[in-house]
Amino acid sequence: MSAEIIASIADVLTDNIPLTPISQGAEAVVFTSPVHPYLPKNRTDGDDKLYILKYRPEKKYRHPVIDKTLTKHRTLGESRLLAKLRLIDGLNVPKLIGCDPYHGCIWLEFLGEDLPNGHGFSNLKNFLWMNASDPYSDLVRDTMINVGKQIGLMHWNDYCHGDLTTSNIVLVRAGEDWQPYLIDFGLGSISTLVEDKGVDLYVLERAIISTHSSFANRYNLWVLEGFKSVFESHGKAGLGKYKDLIRRFEEVRLRGRKRSMIG
Amino acid sequence: MAGIVLKYKIPQFQEYTIHVQKYNNVTNSSELRSKLAELPFAYIDSKTVISVEQLSSAIYKAILETEYNRMRTRTIHSECILSLSPSSNIGDALNRFGIKEGTTDIIVIKIIEDSNEEPYDGNASVDGDLVPVSDDEFSTSADKEIIKTVCIPCDKL
Ligand SMILES: Nc1ncnc2c1ncn2[C@@H]1O[C@H](COP(=O)(O)OP(=O)(O)OP(=O)(O)O)[C@@H](O)[C@H]1O
Ligand SMILES: [Mg+2]
Repeated sequence: MSAEIIASIADVLTDNIPLTPISQGAEAVVFTSPVHPYLPKNRTDGDDKLYILKYRPEKKYRHPVIDKTLTKHRTLGESRLLAKLRLIDGLNVPKLIGCDPYHGCIWLEFLGEDLPNGHGFSNLKNFLWMNASDPYSDLVRDTMINVGKQIGLMHWNDYCHGDLTTSNIVLVRAGEDWQPYLIDFGLGSISTLVEDKGVDLYVLERAIISTHSSFANRYNLWVLEGFKSVFESHGKAGLGKYKDLIRRFEEVRLRGRKRSMIG
Repeated sequence: MAGIVLKYKIPQFQEYTIHVQKYNNVTNSSELRSKLAELPFAYIDSKTVISVEQLSSAIYKAILETEYNRMRTRTIHSECILSLSPSSNIGDALNRFGIKEGTTDIIVIKIIEDSNEEPYDGNASVDGDLVPVSDDEFSTSADKEIIKTVCIPCDKL
């Protein structure tokens, strides 16, 4: 990871906030820190707690003024979306702790944990890998159904994710079970369009097929089962919406196939 | 108990020292109201604050705006009240979170910029009983129904 990027944010946050980089994406660098950005000391919720800092560094190829405006816009956009999603009953997203739009910083609660036996961080991708030896267990089925429910809940409330991959679904341990949380709303939006929702479903389906191809059929059916259950719970109106959405999802899938045939 | 007044600094903003006090059974809230403009404090209606987290998050935002953007109000203390509010209108924020005629439980914020101000002596001109600053204390004075209304944007009211 670029030392220059790390230095640029360390300079703003000062030595009082130690940062450990954990991921570098196209747009953002993600760090963990043991220090809460503003809670008075001794009032933190536990000593070994970690916090997430999602930092959008300056892009040197953009004009500095345009870059600042864009960064501010995207940082605020993602924060506001998260704050709204958090108010939806039953929907799991990380809690927004703070936002510094002038430096492209979003502070979030840390979710998930390291899976046992070196299986990596507890996102859906690694979880499915870990369970590949018993791929159709109740645990996996319930988890996939719950993933579908989360997406259903988000879509029912007219929010779209925009980048619904298996790394953007984090599993949080709840006793014996794992509760899925949706993260990374950098491309998220409020949308009533079936197209956006169909694309969300398609992106996830593709992600599951590409990394877990032998079991993908069953996985995807479970996701849709959970997804459908949310709409079903809203009676006729819900089912109507569900059907429109699935129709579009199938169209999106068909378009995807054609595109991949052409190459 | 860590002492009755909460005094702390924000890791990123070492030049500010923040003090938070809470008073119950306050008898001079109308007097305080009439002198708000002269008093260098943020006086907050305890009914509108549920936790230290809610309050410290607003303080953080106020300092952040002051340092990196611009103050939207005259003082850092009114900036704190504005930051508690989902609205960007200071009058509206004061109506929601500021003290009212007859408010008895008050949270006081005092922020000192270390380089050009004297340390704070703890006297916020409030006649009342000083109680510890804690989530427990805050939640006993908080009114969840009021919080639900003051914390939603005005276009949704
Ligand atoms: N709240 C969180 N709790 C735990 N880990 C997180 C959290 N947010 C982000 N991460 C970790 O950081 C990674 C990147 O975060 P995120 O997806 O939000 O950033 P991004 O820059 O959009 O990434 P990418 O471009 O790779 O999708 C995640 O895949 C996850 O491993
Ligand atoms: Mg991501």
